[in-house]
Amino acid sequence: MASNAKNETPATEEHEAAPILQQMGIFGAILFVSSLISPLFPATFPVPTPVLGLVILYVLLCAKIVKLYQVEKMADFLVGLIAFLFVPSGIQLTASLDIMKESGVQIVAVVVLVTIIMLVSIAYTTAGFMWISRHVFHRDTHVEE
Amino acid sequence: MTWATFLGNALEKNPVTGASMGQAFFGIFLSLVVFLIGQWLFKIGKGFFLFQPLFVGMVLGIAVLVVMAKWFGVSATYFYQAAYKPGGDILFWFLNPATIAFAVPLYRRNDVVKRFWLEIVLSLFVGLIISLFLTVGVSRLFGLNNVVTASMLTQAATTAIAMPVAGAIGGNTAITAMACILNAVIIYALASILIKFFRLNADPVGAGLGLGTAGHAVGTAKAVQLGSIQGSMASIAVVVISIFIDLVVPTFARMMGIFH
Repeated sequence: MASNAKNETPATEEHEAAPILQQMGIFGAILFVSSLISPLFPATFPVPTPVLGLVILYVLLCAKIVKLYQVEKMADFLVGLIAFLFVPSGIQLTASLDIMKESGVQIVAVVVLVTIIMLVSIAYTTAGFMWISRHVFHRDTHVEE
Repeated sequence: MTWATFLGNALEKNPVTGASMGQAFFGIFLSLVVFLIGQWLFKIGKGFFLFQPLFVGMVLGIAVLVVMAKWFGVSATYFYQAAYKPGGDILFWFLNPATIAFAVPLYRRNDVVKRFWLEIVLSLFVGLIISLFLTVGVSRLFGLNNVVTASMLTQAATTAIAMPVAGAIGGNTAITAMACILNAVIIYALASILIKFFRLNADPVGAGLGLGTAGHAVGTAKAVQLGSIQGSMASIAVVVISIFIDLVVPTFARMMGIFH
């Protein structure tokens, strides 16, 4: 992060991480507020609590109301756990074994193909728009880690 | 004494208090054990892609439940709901805070977001439309009927959006939920291979957006491992693509004659 001088996010080293219970408190508060707002969206335009919470936390970080050191440790911990937290969802497929037995092979094959299609079509489209930015609008599209 | 005496049965109520008889201990323990076995296999298998901990955990977990259900003489679905689900649900809940945690990797590379927000939004929109057409094409090729095809259209969104939208366009929400789960497992297992094969390395913005779209939260976690730009882009993709699915898919399904 130090390599990028123009980076506007505050350096983490400036502050000691907030106590973990405070970080949990911020997460809990954002989730609770999101859960109160989420039902206000119409059934035809669902915005689930975690998606809304992601947006709220991002806005709070951009507005510098919540500082990175106040949520960073908890966030990194949770992101690192996601593969494990997804195990129950995987095991949930036990309940869908019947669907899979009926026309399973076809459905699974299509899902595998669609997964690859989504990854590749989004990535290639982005490469296309980046190319247009670079060659038509002469913008610098170089990004650094 | 039956298995329910020890593992609990969430589908039965205590005759006195009316509370569920479910117990969370078995579900949490089983999830941890199968995932740790997955991690161990991944380590000794020198990173062989089928030994990804999430994939191994899922397959082993399902196998254990199916074998136990057979042993106790109940159906696998029943045993899953009665014995595993209470514990599984507790772990599943933590996907809520884990999803909002993606605001942090997103914010860390706010410089990239600010520079390329237009390219990001356009790429996600156009890329999604392209993938929707290809999805219909592939579904037709495999001879899937309209109900199953409709269930396939919303899988780029996070499950909580994909399911109700699929239901609204005449899809089967159980198939959509299964598709979303498989997306994540497939991306987590194959991300590195796919990135190499399709040469997505050159453009970290595109790779990140693709991983977030195709692999949801799990794909984003994978993108965070690949680099800060990929992680940030995958996080923004999860939000924006979900909203596009909300907005675009009902009209698209009508246009394609999948739903009237």
